Amino acid sequence: MGLIQKFGAPKPVSWLLNWSRQYSLWLFQFGLACCAIELMAASGPRYDFMRFGIIPLPASPRQADLMVVAGTVTDKMAPSIKRLYDQMPEPKYVISMGSCANCGGPYWDSYSVTKGVDQIIPVDVYVPGCPPRPEALLEGIVLLQKLIKNEDMKEKWNRRELEPV
Amino acid sequence: MTTIDADVIRHLSETSVSVEIETEDMTLNIGPQHPSTHGVLRLVARVDGERCFDVQPVIGYMHRGYEKLSEVRSYPQITTIVNRIDWVSGYANEVPFIVAAEKLMELEVPERAQYIRLILTEMARIASHLVFNASYPLELGAATPLFFALRERERVLDLLESVTGGRFHPNFNRIGGVKPAYASGSNTRKLTQDLPAGFLAETHTAMDKVLEATEQLEDLVAGNEIILARTRGIGVLPPEVAAAYGVSGPNMRSSGVPFDLRKNQDYLPYDRFDFDVITGENGDCWDRWHVRLLEIRESVKIIQQAIDGIPSGDLQAKVPKVIKVPAGETYVRAENPKGEMGYFLVSDGKSGPYRLKIRSASFSNISVLPWILEGALVPDIIAIMGSLDFVLGDVDR
Amino acid sequence: MSSSPSETATHPLQEFADHVADAVGGTAEIQFDTIKVRVPNDRWIEAHAKARDTLDLVFFSWLSAIDWSNEVEAGDPLEEEVEERVELMTALSDLTEGRLVVFSTDLPSENPTIPTLVTTFAGANWHEREAYEMFGIEFEGHPNLIHLYLPDSFQGNPLRKSFPLLSREVKPWPGKVDVEAMPEKPSPDEPSTENPEA
Repeated sequence: MGLIQKFGAPKPVSWLLNWSRQYSLWLFQFGLACCAIELMAASGPRYDFMRFGIIPLPASPRQADLMVVAGTVTDKMAPSIKRLYDQMPEPKYVISMGSCANCGGPYWDSYSVTKGVDQIIPVDVYVPGCPPRPEALLEGIVLLQKLIKNEDMKEKWNRRELEPV
Repeated sequence: MTTIDADVIRHLSETSVSVEIETEDMTLNIGPQHPSTHGVLRLVARVDGERCFDVQPVIGYMHRGYEKLSEVRSYPQITTIVNRIDWVSGYANEVPFIVAAEKLMELEVPERAQYIRLILTEMARIASHLVFNASYPLELGAATPLFFALRERERVLDLLESVTGGRFHPNFNRIGGVKPAYASGSNTRKLTQDLPAGFLAETHTAMDKVLEATEQLEDLVAGNEIILARTRGIGVLPPEVAAAYGVSGPNMRSSGVPFDLRKNQDYLPYDRFDFDVITGENGDCWDRWHVRLLEIRESVKIIQQAIDGIPSGDLQAKVPKVIKVPAGETYVRAENPKGEMGYFLVSDGKSGPYRLKIRSASFSNISVLPWILEGALVPDIIAIMGSLDFVLGDVDR
Repeated sequence: MSSSPSETATHPLQEFADHVADAVGGTAEIQFDTIKVRVPNDRWIEAHAKARDTLDLVFFSWLSAIDWSNEVEAGDPLEEEVEERVELMTALSDLTEGRLVVFSTDLPSENPTIPTLVTTFAGANWHEREAYEMFGIEFEGHPNLIHLYLPDSFQGNPLRKSFPLLSREVKPWPGKVDVEAMPEKPSPDEPSTENPEA
């Protein structure tokens, strides 16, 4: 890790690392609300996302590298989300699924809803919809895979402050 | 140096320890994030070894403030958010709210609209029960039934989507009736667009497939010894306790009480159809699973009868463009897949309610958890909790 | 006792409503098929106990309140002035025919207190906690009167009419917006830049 952070990796190596990372995302089971049902449908027989490499579904954040925040984030749940995000090891990615997680959604004026999960954790891909169809989530995942493919690891390691949790 | 011979050792190992071992009980936090489809529920369990003696649920992680939000919204706007309360069975949440508003306006809803509402409500019930019947064995360790049920649920969701445009947040009711979102055939310029072409035939096929799926689920699960051992006799809920806590729906019926709001309320024309009220015998987790499976078959019966007898006619009564509901109060209760759902609507003659109290089924269903989990083993917590079939949006609103 | 405004004949549930009202010592009215029995504060617990034991209303459906107030921070104010009070309501039902009765009592707006129903109906526990945090009603004798939904650091009683929704104060909902406005057309006084004969 320190090596890449200082010197960067040569092209073939970084291509190989990115390729292996994009096609073996381990999705952390974190469904909050209705979008979680669409997430479940996306993993079901019809809109299978296992063919994108997203297996297994670890229940613990310590073994995951993709967190899909699916559903409304309330003020009571926000500290838990931050904690779970911190427990994931780097490199990690976040997809914000649904309009509640993007910006508060239909509950924008509620007294107990956080207006978007990006107020707490950094988000890579936003998937709009209420709830987004499973195909929309699959497109979000494909976009994330493209993002990972073109990623520069040196910049990524240097960008975030890394604190162990 | 004493020599210890084999007989002594055997004797010692068979002696029960007669000394009281000082044990401490542990607080186990089954936190807001845990791998099941229920959502963000937190249980603070005080356990003594494997047996827990005090379980307090902590809820509110999905509280979105529906009752306050509905005070600042108009009736059509509330219809858009109300189906997100119980998000597995979306359509069934809208119906009692719209019926309450129509009651205050004293509107007569056309027959065809009522039949469509009934068919979609029963489809929502099938979708919700399929999710439960499939994900409950997953919590007990069996992963296969989930995929069998989800495949058939996709068919039902396709039907719902072809009529309403949304898979489980249809937003399909309007005050005075329904309003299809799908244009059928070449008559796309008709003002009242009706059910899509081929809906009735596809529904028949889908219902046959759903019945096959229930048989497959029954074969997979009912003969499985492990599931039977984990659910029979576990989590028995006596009917008096259920009534005192307000537990309703299939949970109450599996304790032996034949109380079904579809038979004695008139929010939808259920009295024209012939179906049975399924009750269980013991009130344990197995009964709760089995009752819901049999209810899927009853719902299929209702849908088939409704499809065969659907009348023609208007889809929405004549209402003014800006809806103002006259002053009054009413409470409408409905049989949702999770239990009794009710809306107490207090209106003041404006375009939005003055107060809307939402009585959600899962809130009362899990208020019984401290009682029912007393003395249960830790793995049984998951089995019992899952069998009550709640959804956190319904609990927290 | 009044029946629904549009009915001149007796409502089919009127007899049952009168029976309930006599048994618990309150007044009944039926509005739009809903029976509402008003009881005074001091008879609150007894009324529920009687309903459960003698009238077979064993199913505890819900408990909630309405904040009748003339000044509202969020939403529309009332048409006519009402007496400011908090109306506490419960709904009990029987398990044979599905008849539901709403019991209601009036509490003062400032510091409303009432004894708890937990000893009569165990299910009132969570409903009373919800009413406590949403309206500020104190239930005397409740074993665990703490927040149910809201985080511990939340201040205020959200469902009171004096509680504003801050997001709407910052930026109110824009209202029904059908289409984007067309670009500015020149007014009739100014010479038109378009060639009218094109």
